[in-house]
Amino acid sequence: MQQAGGGSETEVTWEDQQNINKFGRLNNRLHELEDEIKIAKEANENFEDASNELILTDEEVVRFQIGEVFCHVAKDEVEMRIEKMQETTAKHLEKLTDEKESVLAEMAELKKILYGKFKDSINLEED
Amino acid sequence: MATSSSPPQIASEVVAERRGIPAASFVKDVQAYLNQLGLDVNNTLAFLQERLQQYKVVEMKLLAQQRDLQAKIPDIEKCLDVVATLQAKKDSDEALLTDFEVSEGIYARARIENADSVCLWLGANVMLEYSCEEATTLLQNNLENAKASLEVLVADLQFLRDQVTITQVTIARVYNWDVHQRRVKNTSSSQDS
Repeated sequence: MQQAGGGSETEVTWEDQQNINKFGRLNNRLHELEDEIKIAKEANENFEDASNELILTDEEVVRFQIGEVFCHVAKDEVEMRIEKMQETTAKHLEKLTDEKESVLAEMAELKKILYGKFKDSINLEED
Repeated sequence: MATSSSPPQIASEVVAERRGIPAASFVKDVQAYLNQLGLDVNNTLAFLQERLQQYKVVEMKLLAQQRDLQAKIPDIEKCLDVVATLQAKKDSDEALLTDFEVSEGIYARARIENADSVCLWLGANVMLEYSCEEATTLLQNNLENAKASLEVLVADLQFLRDQVTITQVTIARVYNWDVHQRRVKNTSSSQDS
């Protein structure tokens, strides 16, 4: 922990600069994570809707999009595929949420350190 | 080979530049920095602002590249999916019925039987025929290269953003130092008079 510098001009050490840099990087990563989490949640919702539609339909063959084309696939296989994709997305979402929590914790730590040293001379809030 | 024991985020070595991006020099003491540059406060601030603008330009370029790569990766994954499906159908000896887009809004039905080979678009108006296995290998390679490039790009962006932060902090400190100097000069000159 740094000793607070006296006088109206607080000393900025290399370690302080690195802390500030790290905070900036974590903040950027936080925004990226929030966007990715939103996309993953939307994908999950789409899968939910799709599997609900599947249950309601009485057709045996479903046009399932693979790449840019719609393949005729048996309903059971489509159910399996959607389930697999849901699992992958759910795991991905969990990983993202965990990373977001650790990023937030690190940022809170850095805020404590930086506010402790610089008090009012620094602003770490979202504008 | 000497190994660096420091964690990747807080590097103890200072890099002079990275892939053409000059590093912002960290200022320990503002007075010493001004003496070293040999410029007065306003010119120093102008110089630092210009540096900041240059960094922003490079950042825009890197962000655009990152967006392109991030769009390319799902495309390659989709292609891998298609090839895998074709291979699976070939093994099961069934014909694959698909509806594909002939033109915008118009779809036609196709029956694909025994897909031994696929054609891959390589870019520059070139399309080559590959066997399913070769196509999978090629697409996997492309996917890995794209992911590796994206990693390097992300690291570049992080380095760049660090330099932007350092420059912004330096600008603030030079400005504050100047304000402090003026205040000291004013109080000392008002004491004299």
